[in-house]
Amino acid sequence: MALQKYSKFVDGTIPIQALLYDDEELISSQDGVGIYDGLQKSPQHQSGTIHVTSQRLFYIDSAKRASRSFYLELSYVSRTEHYAGLFTSSAKVTLYLSSDSSGPEASSHSGLEIWECEVCGYRNPPGLSPSAARICGLCGVPRSLPAKDAPSNAGIPELNAASVLPSSASTSALSSTLQEPHLVACEACTFLNPPSRNTCEICATPLPKAAGDTALEAKSAPTTRPASPGFDHDDNGSRMLKLSFRKGGDKVFYAALKRSLKAQAWEIAPANASNDGGRLGISGIMQVVETNAQNRDTNMSNALQDLEALMIKAKDMVRLAADLNERLTASSTITANNPYSSTSLLSSTSTEPEEATFIRSSLSQLGLQMENTPVTLDMMKDEREWMEQLARELANVLQGSEKPNLPSSSSGGMMKERGIIALDEVWGGWNRARGVALIPPSTFLQVIPYIPTFTNPTITSRTLNSGLAVLHTPPYSRAAFAARVCGLLALAGPKSTTEIAQEEGMTISLTAEMLDIVEEDGDICRDDGRSVIQENQGDVVVVGEVNWWANLFLGYTWDGQV
Amino acid sequence: MALSTHTTTSGFLLPSIHSAPPFFTQQPHPTSLSIATDQWIQIILKYARHRRLFTIRVQDAETPGNVWDEILRNERINRKLLPSYLSYIFTQMVSRKVAAYDPPKQDRSILIYWRLPEEWAEVLYEWVSSTANMNTIMTFYEITDPPIESPLSALPIPLLRQAIAILAKSNRAQIIAIAEGEGVRFFPTTIKA
Repeated sequence: MALQKYSKFVDGTIPIQALLYDDEELISSQDGVGIYDGLQKSPQHQSGTIHVTSQRLFYIDSAKRASRSFYLELSYVSRTEHYAGLFTSSAKVTLYLSSDSSGPEASSHSGLEIWECEVCGYRNPPGLSPSAARICGLCGVPRSLPAKDAPSNAGIPELNAASVLPSSASTSALSSTLQEPHLVACEACTFLNPPSRNTCEICATPLPKAAGDTALEAKSAPTTRPASPGFDHDDNGSRMLKLSFRKGGDKVFYAALKRSLKAQAWEIAPANASNDGGRLGISGIMQVVETNAQNRDTNMSNALQDLEALMIKAKDMVRLAADLNERLTASSTITANNPYSSTSLLSSTSTEPEEATFIRSSLSQLGLQMENTPVTLDMMKDEREWMEQLARELANVLQGSEKPNLPSSSSGGMMKERGIIALDEVWGGWNRARGVALIPPSTFLQVIPYIPTFTNPTITSRTLNSGLAVLHTPPYSRAAFAARVCGLLALAGPKSTTEIAQEEGMTISLTAEMLDIVEEDGDICRDDGRSVIQENQGDVVVVGEVNWWANLFLGYTWDGQV
Repeated sequence: MALSTHTTTSGFLLPSIHSAPPFFTQQPHPTSLSIATDQWIQIILKYARHRRLFTIRVQDAETPGNVWDEILRNERINRKLLPSYLSYIFTQMVSRKVAAYDPPKQDRSILIYWRLPEEWAEVLYEWVSSTANMNTIMTFYEITDPPIESPLSALPIPLLRQAIAILAKSNRAQIIAIAEGEGVRFFPTTIKA
């Protein structure tokens, strides 16, 4: 029956993953499956797990793994049918098996042996699926069995289908006649080439077609013949196999099976081999190497030509760039030569035509760096230098430049009159001054640590309690500010936050934050406006603000009633 | 700005720090806060002794016109103690055992120990012996409201109980149930051989 004919025994005690070929893939599994051999239940295979792979269908019996498991090549399956089940009848999948396998039949090369390619001498490892194992893994030449090993089926693996049937006499007779046309002599060098080649392996001369065709014809002739008569008078039942899903899961499994059948993994390997026919053998390998070398040569010479042309033009470009830059500088100093303060920095950069900034940055991106252009990453060789250059630029924005001829120096810098400034304001001001190639906040934060090196007096950053980060000059450091506030309070008596903010020229909220820090150090103490007695309830209640006192608690001793 | 002490109408001498406005604010800085709170506790204890006051409530800081006005408010500098700060001072006093929440299980009013319960016990025992009431049964009322003003006049009952309990431990007093409620009998000190 069908089961006997198509299935092959497998030892089910081996885990399914170990049973697969190297190029085979497990797609889906389902347990609680029974097998119908044709229309009849197969009594020995009534409860097991079924696995579908890219090439085969495994049945592993749950009771007697070692003796009752088998596998079936999917290449035999010509058609499938799905039956959803009704009442007590469980869902079934019917596999119709074709009498002549469309896939390559190569059972004589069991995937479990090492074979040596006769062309390149590569020892092919075992474990590939039969279709893949027919081709040498290194040079891609199809495998042909040496005549001395097995003269009966030399070069014609398809003949092995006949081993099922008792027709060995006829096949051996056929193969002996095929022995001669099997090799094709090259017309140019007389080398005997294997029939699979269209060009000579030695001299790459096209091989005569006729010889190959006859060989193929002779080869294809016996493939169908020995197989067909045995099946012709069988009834339909002998060519089908039913899988009965006792525990469900049939839909998922059927979808997986369909997919696997559609993919036809067993066909792929031989197809590739025939397409690449021109690249087979030693001459093919050599050809590839040669083409690669040629391509590399062409690319190299092209690149060198470009470079030479560029070098000729480079001098001119440098001269042009310098000229352009001079003109731009001249025009920008004319438009912005009024006395500068911290506010006019921004206006001066905005009056400078945007085109000019754009040209400058383009020039610097070409490596033609001018003195007064914004620093961009492309100009710099490495990260560190990039950071230092940015820090230098930022220092100029903050404090004004030492060099008098640069446009940015003509302004006083953002921090000329202010000792402390919030980070967001610095970032905004800097990017406005740059105009192009704006600095992202992340880069800005990276630049901050470099600032003290390039500023005089040193500008350092500091984070206040609320998380507000500021840049400040030494007089606004923690200790210096506290000392100054204490001095002020000692001299002028208690002050409110607003009064101190006025005194320091800072915003009220910033002052409040700074005072909080001074209070943390215990240098001052607060007098909360909420403690004020408000007798007249009818009026609008004005919550007084905090007044600051020098810390009068420290060192206080009791001087009241004993 | 020089701060000076001030004598209130009831004759209590306020410390100079009481005329500093920051004194009326709960300071965020821990050291300043602990110093200020120490001073407040001193003022409350000494003023309570001065006026023979036994309880103070958070409400006393909320609404004016009570016995604590002289210290919880300073009209001269226009400052008053905020109820939240007074509440914090209560917790500090209770944790230092110079006061106890009374009634217990709330934190709005405290019983001030301007004398510790142990000290009250001694005062009570001395008063009993000086008034020749040894071995006689006395009611709590007779102790706290005697016909002649005594150091124990107006002593709150919870404090009196604590003092008696301390005396009872050294066998110098005994609580006795009598018709009108509870009574107490004091014993002369016996030196046991």
